[in-house]
Amino acid sequence: MTVKRVYGYLAEFESASALYKAAEKVRDAGHKKWDCYSPYPIHGLDKAMGMKKSILPYLVFFGGTLGILTGFTLAYTTQVAIYPTVVQAKPANIFTTAAFFPIMFELTILFSGFTTLFGLLALMGLPRLNHPLFESRQFQRATDDGFFIAIEARDARFSTEETKSLLEDAGGTNLELVEEPAS
Amino acid sequence: MGHFITSKDIPADGEHIAKGKLAKPIMVCGIVALVGIIVSICLLLLNNPYKGEAADTVAGRYAYSWLFAFAFFVSLTLGGCFWLLLHHVSNSGWGVSVRRLMEHLACVFPWMGIIAIPFLFPSVQQHLFEWMNIHRGFDGVGMYGSAKDALHHGHGQFDHLLYAKHFYMNLPFWLGRMVFYFVGLGGAMYYLRKLSVDQDNDPNPDSSRLKKARRRSSWMLIIFALTATFLAFDLIKALDYKWFSTMYGVAFFAGCVLNGMALLILTTIVLRRAGYMQQIMSPEHHHIMGKLTFAFVVFWAYVSFSQFFLIWYANITEETSYFILRNTGNWNIASIALVFGHFALPFLFLIRSDVKKKPGLMIPITIYLFILHALDHYIMVAPERGPSLTINGEHGAQLMPTGSVIWLDLLAFITVGSFFAFFYLRSLTKTSLYPNRDPRILESANLFN
Repeated sequence: MTVKRVYGYLAEFESASALYKAAEKVRDAGHKKWDCYSPYPIHGLDKAMGMKKSILPYLVFFGGTLGILTGFTLAYTTQVAIYPTVVQAKPANIFTTAAFFPIMFELTILFSGFTTLFGLLALMGLPRLNHPLFESRQFQRATDDGFFIAIEARDARFSTEETKSLLEDAGGTNLELVEEPAS
Repeated sequence: MGHFITSKDIPADGEHIAKGKLAKPIMVCGIVALVGIIVSICLLLLNNPYKGEAADTVAGRYAYSWLFAFAFFVSLTLGGCFWLLLHHVSNSGWGVSVRRLMEHLACVFPWMGIIAIPFLFPSVQQHLFEWMNIHRGFDGVGMYGSAKDALHHGHGQFDHLLYAKHFYMNLPFWLGRMVFYFVGLGGAMYYLRKLSVDQDNDPNPDSSRLKKARRRSSWMLIIFALTATFLAFDLIKALDYKWFSTMYGVAFFAGCVLNGMALLILTTIVLRRAGYMQQIMSPEHHHIMGKLTFAFVVFWAYVSFSQFFLIWYANITEETSYFILRNTGNWNIASIALVFGHFALPFLFLIRSDVKKKPGLMIPITIYLFILHALDHYIMVAPERGPSLTINGEHGAQLMPTGSVIWLDLLAFITVGSFFAFFYLRSLTKTSLYPNRDPRILESANLFN
């Protein structure tokens, strides 16, 4: 017999605005680990969900700073410290920095680009091959015409009874307790 | 999403600045400008005979101060022109709430033509534009029919250079361009504002004026591009006719656009603090305007550095002269200050998104940007005058007991500044603060980004 573990409660909502209002209710109930699923982006939904600002900008900023420093160190050590090259009577000291700006600029862009991409993947927990919600048949409509809210069992306030009544109060239909195979 | 603005929230006649509220500042600006202009005319034109000594006279120095002040304030108005044209051409909806302010700023541009009038006098030109002196010196002299012929056969060090540039650098064409800038672009701006103001009084507003403005702005943008580039070429770059730089127009444009937006931000914040535009604007507008400012801080740095870098790397004699002058001695301190002050600091300050939404933080940064922009233009203009930032006039006539050129610069700056403020503020009081019957005013009021 396969042992199953509760992933969370899934509820369907009839429209984007119903989803929006329900999200506000779930937010006000104090839930943290939950998510909305909709076939298209809904303006202002992140506010209704009470989502905090991502830390990604800080990561990107430090990635960019690391890039500019890498560019400078790379160019300075090779062109000034190790093997000073005099071209057209240009100086080979700190005043050569003007010549390093293009590579510093490029590496800033490159490093911030990479930090954006990989930071985003890391923060979202990607890549992953399967999601527990795919166990639910009705959830397939989330890419077509279904609006869903799933409250995870990991949430501190999760309890089968209360979460169910919360989602029902918020106007949810087709409530389903999604279970995932425990590994 | 908070509250939603509907057409009920927008007054049918728009919002007007209460009568008399700005009367006093406008009057003060007008009087200061008038007195300043009279003093300036005395300094520039009286006791300044044609063929006088170059930059050692008060008139000669003041010509540079006047050019510096003119360049600074004309750049603000050109920024207004650009944002207005871009707003129409890109068919954008977000900025309808602040478009009227852009229109007012843009319509100050033709008035700046009055400030440019002294540059038409040979006795002022002789200090600023060396090429004109050479042209005038050759005109009608000797056996050659024209200055062009004379330059062709001349034996002066730079005669052939001037001959090669004659198609562009000749007096009639220069004069024609001067007229074209202020009449052409100025007329276009007045036309756009008239379209927009007419909409306010139209009992049956529709989108026909909007479409007209969009279609016409597309070619007016070409007039703007020509004006901004060649105004910078003709008045500032021409101070050193031997210099070549194709980036110059773009660098000037970047400063214009950056500070035009900074002034718009400052205006909106002050107006909102005074209780106007409460419904029509939100922090979202400030956010977008802050983003554009940030973008142009980066663009200015990019273009300015590119100009420096290409010239520094190529090491061609006639190009490097500009930077040799500005990157040696005390001017170098000012140039380095620009790198950190005009780019690094505002970049780090504006990079956070919440800063852009806080008026209390945006007021100091816009004022700071103006100061650095003034330094930028000062470095463009003043080194050609001769004395460095720290050198007092040791010989020649002196206006102030200290004899420093700084006083002349300040006088010109205050005069042109109050002239600018007079027309800008006067314009603000005349119409509604936003195009209240624009079809997309609600879209703009409910902006979310």
